[in-house]
Formats: sequence, C-alpha cells, structure tokens
Amino acid sequence: MSSPVVASIPESAAAGGLAEFDRTTSRWGRLTMLAGLLVSLAGPLYLVFFADLDVTAGQLWTAFGAVAAVFMMIWLVEPITYFPILGPAAMYQAFMIGNISSKLLPSALVAQNRIDAKPGTPRGDFAAVAAICGAAALHLLSLAVFVGLLGTWLISIIPVDVIDVVRLYILPSVLGAVVVQAIISVKQPRITAVAVAISLLVQFVLVPLVPATAFLATGIAVMATIALSWLVRDRTPQPAVEH
Amino acid sequence: MLTHLVSTAVGGGSSTDVLALANMPLLWICAAGVFAVIAVQSVIYMKAARKAAPAAGITQEELKVSFRSGAIAAIGPSLAVALVAVALLAVFGTPAVLVRIGLIGSAAYETGAASIAIGTTGAELGGPGYTQNAFAIAFFAMSLGGAMWMLATLILTPLMKRGGNKLAKTSPVAMAIVPTAALLGAFVSLSIAEVPKSLVHLVALLTAAAVMGLCAVIGRSPKRAWLREWSLGFAIVVALAVAYVVHTAGMPAA
Repeated sequence: MSSPVVASIPESAAAGGLAEFDRTTSRWGRLTMLAGLLVSLAGPLYLVFFADLDVTAGQLWTAFGAVAAVFMMIWLVEPITYFPILGPAAMYQAFMIGNISSKLLPSALVAQNRIDAKPGTPRGDFAAVAAICGAAALHLLSLAVFVGLLGTWLISIIPVDVIDVVRLYILPSVLGAVVVQAIISVKQPRITAVAVAISLLVQFVLVPLVPATAFLATGIAVMATIALSWLVRDRTPQPAVEH
Repeated sequence: MLTHLVSTAVGGGSSTDVLALANMPLLWICAAGVFAVIAVQSVIYMKAARKAAPAAGITQEELKVSFRSGAIAAIGPSLAVALVAVALLAVFGTPAVLVRIGLIGSAAYETGAASIAIGTTGAELGGPGYTQNAFAIAFFAMSLGGAMWMLATLILTPLMKRGGNKLAKTSPVAMAIVPTAALLGAFVSLSIAEVPKSLVHLVALLTAAAVMGLCAVIGRSPKRAWLREWSLGFAIVVALAVAYVVHTAGMPAA
C-alpha cells in the first residue's frame, strides 16, 4: 500500500511548510469565522434589544424554533458533505462567504482544471483556496457596487420577468456547466458512473418513496458515492507508481 | 412629542415602514463589518498560501492564475446573486440583503427561513402584517440560523480533519478516492435534482452542459486556455437566455 501521493512529497521541509499553512489557516480561519458570526448577529440583536420594537423572547424563540425544525439537519449535513471536497482550510472561507455549490465550488474546480491540479492533493487544495479568495474578492465588489450602491436604481430599470427567470433557473444553469467540468477535469469514468447511478437512485427512487429525505439527498448521494467508489475501486497495482 | 406619544400608544414596532428600520445606519455598519472580515480572511489565506506554495508543489504564477480563474468563474454566479438580492431589497432593506442573501447564506435558504419565521407571527413576508416588529423577528431568526451553519462548521471541521488525517495515514488510496467521489456525488446529485422541477429546468441544465462541453473541446488547445476561465460564464448566460425564451414561450414553469 505504498502511496504515490505520499512518495511524491519531497522533503520534511515540504511537510513543515504545509504544517505551517495548516496552522495559520486553522487558527485565523476559525478566528475570522467567529468574528463574522458575531458581527452578523450584532445587527439583529441590536434591533431586538434596543430598538424599542416590543419584541418578546417568546416570539423570538418560536420563530427560531420553526426555522431550526426545518433547517437543523442541513446545518449539520452541509459541512459534512462539503468537507471532503473543500478541505479544512477552505471550510472556514466557504461557510462564511456562502453560495457554496453555485459559486465557490465551481470557482475552485475551474482553477484546478486551469492549472491541471487534482482535487484532494496539496496542489488542488491550494488552487481551491486561491480560487475562493478570487471569487470572494469579485463577489464583495459586485455586491458593493450592484446591490449596495446601485441596487435601488437597478430595481427600477430591470424588467421583472428577467429577474424571475434568473431566480428560477440560475441553479440548473450553473450546475449543468459545473457537472460537465467536474467530469472532464477529474477523468475518473468509474467514479463518474457510480455517482450517476447513485444519484439517479437517490433522486428518482429514494426521495419519491420517502419525501422526508429530500433535504438529505445530496448528503446521502455523496456518502453512498464515496462508499461504492471505494468498493468498486481499481484494485490493479497503481499505475502512478511508474515514475 | 405628539408623534412619540402616538407611536408608543400604538405599540412600538407596529409601524409597517419596515425599510426605515431595515436601512438604519447601524445595520449598514454591521454589513460593512462582515465585508471587512471576509476581506481580511482572504488576505491572510492568500499570504499563507503564497508562503507555503513550494511545499504544496504549486508555483506563485499558478496561485495567481488560480486566484484570477476563481474570480472570473465567479462573475456569472455572483451577478445572479446580486440580481436576486436587488429583487429582495424592498422586503429586507439593503444591509440585511447584503449580509444574508449576498453573503453567508443563499437566497433560497434565507427567504425560506424568513418566511417561516414571519409565519410564526401570523403575518406574511411583505404582506399587510409585515411590521417593523415582524421584520426584527425574521431578521433575528435568519441570522441566528446562519450562525448555526458557521457554528456547525467551527465544531465539525476540526473533528473531520482528525478523521481525515487518520484516514490519510492508514489508507492513502482512500484519500485519493474520497475527494473525487464526494465532488462527483455532490454535483451529479444536485444536477439530477433539478431535472424533475420543470421542463425549463431540464432545458437550462442541458444547455449549460452542452456549452461547457463545447468550450472544453475548443479550449483544449493551450492557445485558447483563457476559454477555460470564461466557459462557466458563457454557459450560464447562454443557458439563462434559452431558459428565458422557453419560459416566456409558456412552457410549464416550476
């Protein structure tokens, strides 16, 4: 079971460099995410406690309880679903920046494809981190300009049906492109076939039979694809050992 | 003085002038704060990546290309988010839209959370009972919900990292399979979930896939490598244009 991945990492210096990156990103990633969490709560907390709106604690907990009942499993499932793709460093970026499957993962994938880096390798992880930084920079800029600065003017000139179409169909438009990109750039026909078979089963058999699993569908598909890909993996000696 | 008396007599927060409350300066400052935190985090991460680049077997040039590719690839999705956010300005006001719809969450989650939260007050989002009081409750519930996501990430990431490290030591082959399988499982499953929604969803999905496939074939030559960065944007624009035509032609929508 000698691994080509481990063998190709040259010296202890490289391991040290990666360990330092890991330390920096997990310390500062956590700190910045905690800061983001607190700042994002400060506004609503101020309104609730100081703006004299007669909001009662009972109203707040009822409202939050209703939201939690619907979304609690997603709060737990999403981080677990995306961790194997993002890696630990990018996790602290992704769950603060938001729009992970429709914006950040596609960006990471485009970058990995552009420099021919495989997901899950150090090269792939670094390309993903840089790509997410790039996506974040662009997104902050576009939000500040188009929503913060021009938002109220734009709403007066954009036809309602254009906004409706974008709102309704943006997800399939992004996903159709990204799924093709993912299949092309990882070049793993066996795992692709497993993913397609499992997803068809989950979306067209499991979800219609047990509608309550709909929000778990992606998580189930990911876990099942990992498990089945492992079971049907190519057991012939790794060709990558040749170099 | 009189207006003050009247407003307290009616009961604080019963005003339906939600935007006066939702656009108050303090909320703008908090929104700017979230922007600043993300910007600072990106700078720290890029610096750390540049420093450790040799150890990861990636060049400074490739890091720069990755940053640029990520930014270009995000143009389409980012503008789409901005457009949806603009459409929701009248409901939540600019600061809440910037933080909740634009960052942290997503339009689908946040409007869902907000309407569930408002529902518990007996009102409806943007309806006649949508008072300042109801807005504060909705904003609180969606923000605390978003915080739970970050909290789960903060707690689960170190745990999963430990599991991943252990797996990497005991079974390197698994480490080669897991990220690839997770990536394909996630995107194939998310894409297939769009199929039963409507015919227009299917058309958008297939159009985007076809454009992306075409770009990949044409962009194979190193001379046209730039196409690989822009292909996602092209695919989104063409797919949305086709969806617009099919949608307005009266095909069954969602």
